[in-house]
Amino acid sequence: MTELVYIGEEVLPALLRGLWISLILILPSSVLGFAAGVLVGALRVYGAAGFRWLANAYVLIFRGFPLIIQLYIWYFGLPRIGIYMSPYGASVMGFVLCSAAYHSEYIRGALLSIRHGQMLAAQSIGLNRLQTVLYVIMPQAFRRALPGCGNEIIYLIKYSSLAYMVTCIELTGEGKILASASFKYIEVFMIIGAIYLGMVSIATWLLSMLENHLTIPGFERYRT
Amino acid sequence: MSQGMTAIQEGFWYLLEGAWVNLIVVVGALIFGFLLGLPLALGQVYGGKILRRVFAVYVWFFRGIPLLVFLFLFYFGLVAWLDINLSAFTVAVIVLGLISAAYQSQTLRGALLSIPEGQMKAARALGMSDFQAIFRVILPQSIRLSIPGWSNEYAILLKDSAVTYALGVSELMSRTNHVASRTYQHLYLYITAGILFMILTYAGTRLMGMLQKRLTVPGYTR
Amino acid sequence: MPSPTPVLAVENITKTYGIRTILDGVSLSINRGEIKVLIGPSGAGKSTLLQSINFLIQPDSGTVALEGQTINPHDKKALCAYRQQVGMIFQDFNLFDHLTALGNVEIGLIRVKHMIKNEARDRAVTELERVGLKQHTAHYPAQLSGGQKQRVSIARALAMEPKVMLLDEPTSALDPELIGEVHSVISKLGEAGMTMMLATHQIGFARHLAHEMIFMENGRIVEQGPPDVILDGAARQRTREFCSRISGAGEKR
Repeated sequence: MTELVYIGEEVLPALLRGLWISLILILPSSVLGFAAGVLVGALRVYGAAGFRWLANAYVLIFRGFPLIIQLYIWYFGLPRIGIYMSPYGASVMGFVLCSAAYHSEYIRGALLSIRHGQMLAAQSIGLNRLQTVLYVIMPQAFRRALPGCGNEIIYLIKYSSLAYMVTCIELTGEGKILASASFKYIEVFMIIGAIYLGMVSIATWLLSMLENHLTIPGFERYRT
Repeated sequence: MSQGMTAIQEGFWYLLEGAWVNLIVVVGALIFGFLLGLPLALGQVYGGKILRRVFAVYVWFFRGIPLLVFLFLFYFGLVAWLDINLSAFTVAVIVLGLISAAYQSQTLRGALLSIPEGQMKAARALGMSDFQAIFRVILPQSIRLSIPGWSNEYAILLKDSAVTYALGVSELMSRTNHVASRTYQHLYLYITAGILFMILTYAGTRLMGMLQKRLTVPGYTR
Repeated sequence: MPSPTPVLAVENITKTYGIRTILDGVSLSINRGEIKVLIGPSGAGKSTLLQSINFLIQPDSGTVALEGQTINPHDKKALCAYRQQVGMIFQDFNLFDHLTALGNVEIGLIRVKHMIKNEARDRAVTELERVGLKQHTAHYPAQLSGGQKQRVSIARALAMEPKVMLLDEPTSALDPELIGEVHSVISKLGEAGMTMMLATHQIGFARHLAHEMIFMENGRIVEQGPPDVILDGAARQRTREFCSRISGAGEKR
């Protein structure tokens, strides 16, 4: 009985609160991360030499540093040079910058895989540069990059738990606090694990729906 | 700036030892993950319906939950509940290995499936049992194909190993924190740690590349 | 005889890659309704010439004029407007892989000619019908044979109502049994009075189609004239050698 009261009055509200924070970490981070990744990826392929070099260096560093270190740099490191960020702000910035680097890899690969002839054909019917990118290159590149970028979003859902390490108390953080108080580590973290499994499964399902919706003959081999 | 440099200089060997711990954790997890991932992959390709189902659930489970949650669940939950004496280090290797097994099984599964059916038929035609065919013919080919996957897995595990500091494993990340809290040079120290991780990643993937070259037989150039 | 303004006039085009000269001062012009066929060994510069005319390859020097108007390739707007009026057919089709046959023909109408959707669709269907692909409008490039793809690309070019068409070896990537269907579409275009410049190795087809044949070698026009003259009694020995070699091989292909 006390068990149920404990779950109903303490665990549930805390986990809901945590889930909400997790969601408002994940959703903007994945959207912004993808958008920035498209930009960086395009820069790495079409940018002027200087921009290309910068974008490549950015990707090298942000894929090379463990995400947890990146978060620590934003939250604990920057204050040493007078820049202060909230735990939430530092987390979102860390997630966006890191996942953009990974997204850009898939975008870059997809852009490079589009044959030069597609561009020639677009020019030959009078499409300008912007139209060519918008109506010919991107629709193809997006389809080819989707499985990889989708995976990246799944990773982000899981890595959002690292926000707890920079004191942004999301789902994992709320769980840690609950469990430390009650010593019911197994119960609490089983529930939390189940919630992450749910989020990951829903995201996987949504992404595969999107892929199904976008799949056309000739683009099947890019699916995983 | 100069204070940052001194902090890095003073703590450098201490940090380097930490990086060594990361390497051991990762190599341990890779090996454990392979030993567990191989039967998982074989089961998913050649096993019966039920076995496939069970193994698929394993993969779904370990790929769907964050590392940090697993670490807390195992270290603070399971270890205490089972009343066994396992160090944070051991738990870190086990948890990373269990997760890695799920990913490695997927890479191996893909490699197994990519071997043409004719190979199996030819092995059977020579009078090999299915078991022999898999271990003498199919696996040697699939293992070669999965090396790029391992290289990738190594890089991911290495970065993930920094998270084990949450359990107090005395690896690079946690040592960086120690030095930082003493010297207040957080920014420089974290950047140094990041660069060390990058160097380790680079060295490891180069090593894998060399391994791949050594194992290459004509026709497996990818 | 008064000479009318040619539809397309190419003046002294050169193109070099490093030390290799691909086009060495090529000039030619084509009048309304005329069909000129470019022949010559691989690497003679035929493909580069056709792509330079459309500025898909930027020539190092020389001018191109459409109906007396010299094109400034650095004026992006004018260049797009010019390219609309010059249909280009590629060796390897270059259909947009993410669009159906219909979508491939529509895209130029909608995005470049700013037609409304329904009108564009009707027009595109008509063009696909013209190349005998009415049943295949909903198919993606991956679902079409090579011959069908090339016919879609011809429909895509025709939909823009070009004043002249440039065809760069339109059948060289096709299996022998598929060449006929593309040739018959091109022949019909010629009968309907389309101005065309075509590079090909199919000598038999060229003889039947061309008003004039142009023999190119090493980035230069070596000889030009009516097909019978070029093929049977060329003044230069190189041309004769090439023609006898290719017609022997051509019939087998």
